[in-house]
Amino acid sequence: MRAGAAVALNGLRKRFGEVRAVDGIDLVITPGEVVALLGPNGAGKSTTVDMLLGLSTPDGGTISVFGTSPREAVVAGRISAMLQSGALLDDATVAEAVGLIAALHRKPMPVAQALEQAGIADLAGRKCTKLSGGQKQRVRFALALVCDPDLLVLDEPTVAMDVETRRAFWQQMRAYTDTGRTVLFATHYLEEAEEYADRVVLMRSGRIVADGSVAQVRAAVSGRTLRAVVPGATDLTLPGVRLVERRGDQITLTCTDSDAAVRALLTRYPTAHDIEITALGLEDAFLALTGEDN
Amino acid sequence: MNTRFLALELRRAVRNGRYLIFTVVVPSVMFVLFVNLYGGGEGTFPNGLPVTTSLMMNMALFGVMAGPLSIGARIAVERGLGWQRQLRLTPLTGSGYLMTKGALGMLVGLPAILLVCAIGVAEGVRMDALHWVGVLATLWLGAVPFVLLGIVIGLVATADGMQAITGLASMLFGLLGGIWIPADVAPDWLATIMKVLPTYWVKQLTEAPFVSGIDIRQALVVIGLWVAGLSLIAVRRYRAQS
Repeated sequence: MRAGAAVALNGLRKRFGEVRAVDGIDLVITPGEVVALLGPNGAGKSTTVDMLLGLSTPDGGTISVFGTSPREAVVAGRISAMLQSGALLDDATVAEAVGLIAALHRKPMPVAQALEQAGIADLAGRKCTKLSGGQKQRVRFALALVCDPDLLVLDEPTVAMDVETRRAFWQQMRAYTDTGRTVLFATHYLEEAEEYADRVVLMRSGRIVADGSVAQVRAAVSGRTLRAVVPGATDLTLPGVRLVERRGDQITLTCTDSDAAVRALLTRYPTAHDIEITALGLEDAFLALTGEDN
Repeated sequence: MNTRFLALELRRAVRNGRYLIFTVVVPSVMFVLFVNLYGGGEGTFPNGLPVTTSLMMNMALFGVMAGPLSIGARIAVERGLGWQRQLRLTPLTGSGYLMTKGALGMLVGLPAILLVCAIGVAEGVRMDALHWVGVLATLWLGAVPFVLLGIVIGLVATADGMQAITGLASMLFGLLGGIWIPADVAPDWLATIMKVLPTYWVKQLTEAPFVSGIDIRQALVVIGLWVAGLSLIAVRRYRAQS
């Protein structure tokens, strides 16, 4: 466990029946980082977030939030979250709902300030039942902000928003993270991770499959794909190749250096034909990394 | 307990139109109706209690059931909405949440008692100040089992089923508890059931200063058992959920 870390997860595990929802996660987030937890549905993002917030207990491993347990961090108002399914009271106004949560915290910010920061100052008197999907998300954002946390966790924050609302939401978030707060947000929108995160953590099937800056992850996963028909190929250990797949004579090579790979391939197997080299976008790389094994 | 949170919860609860009508207004209206039904309440029941006084206590007791029950049952709605999850991201503990709901249940039971008793005075109920204090306190403390029952319903029921279960409980405890039918005129088998319910014994306690032969010890034992039993269920149920 690193001293001074905002979040330190060590060998975190959680299973539901036979499903290993989170299958051994190690992650350290330093204060001030904006981290995207990226992965398809069922990758274990929400389960990880729940454990981080102390809403569920891990089966194995340890969690530390600013050096304390998640619950202690919640009580101290250091960690807060915008929940994916967190609903709002059916019989309260926006300001009342935020006021209720503020009343429970030890050092809350004024309700008006939380509404302002979430961009919903004009909705203060509105009943919680009379809000659009995007407005509800912003109220949840205000609920998360009101305790003035050091670490903000967002679980799929923009899931109910249209493109425009989503952009406005991230602008607000930007203003917030510029003040040096730590943010961890789970998303399955690649472009959000790319645009707003300093660091991307890719999850698949309960494990972390890539972790680094957006540029690093892009570099790690990008490259080119070389497809060819190679009759009688036996040894495909070639320079510049990261991954080999084959179906009969049809081979697919994921390359870090496709030029070196194609030269070596043709030297070794001059009969190779139907050679096709395509660039791998971040989108493809994301799918390749997070998609299910076939 | 967080008093500011309690105050905000209270404001939200009493603003609810349904609360005001069903738990504050209805008991008083029923009281006035019954008094007129019994011919202006001039008479006395066989146990020596004036009709108006007896009806006043019954209807206050009805108010003490309805309000607290509905507060506890709101827990089911807040759980269904996911609001409880939001609360778990605050320093509020689970027991703090239940205690706030309990305090809230006690508070919302109060207006019905006061209103019914005020109408009682207007209808001619007379007793000395000490007895008034005793009756009001007994009625109010009589809310405790119903606050707990409401919390248990809130923890057990779904948001959809809560309304029906609360209605049923309110009817059972009211009807079988002797609020609507006096135990004295009920057949033996019904009277036996009545004497198992807390409603009957809270009623007995309110009458104790005026009617002789009321078994106060048995009343306290039965009510105590209900309070202990319901608390135990609430705590176990809450632990199982979190």
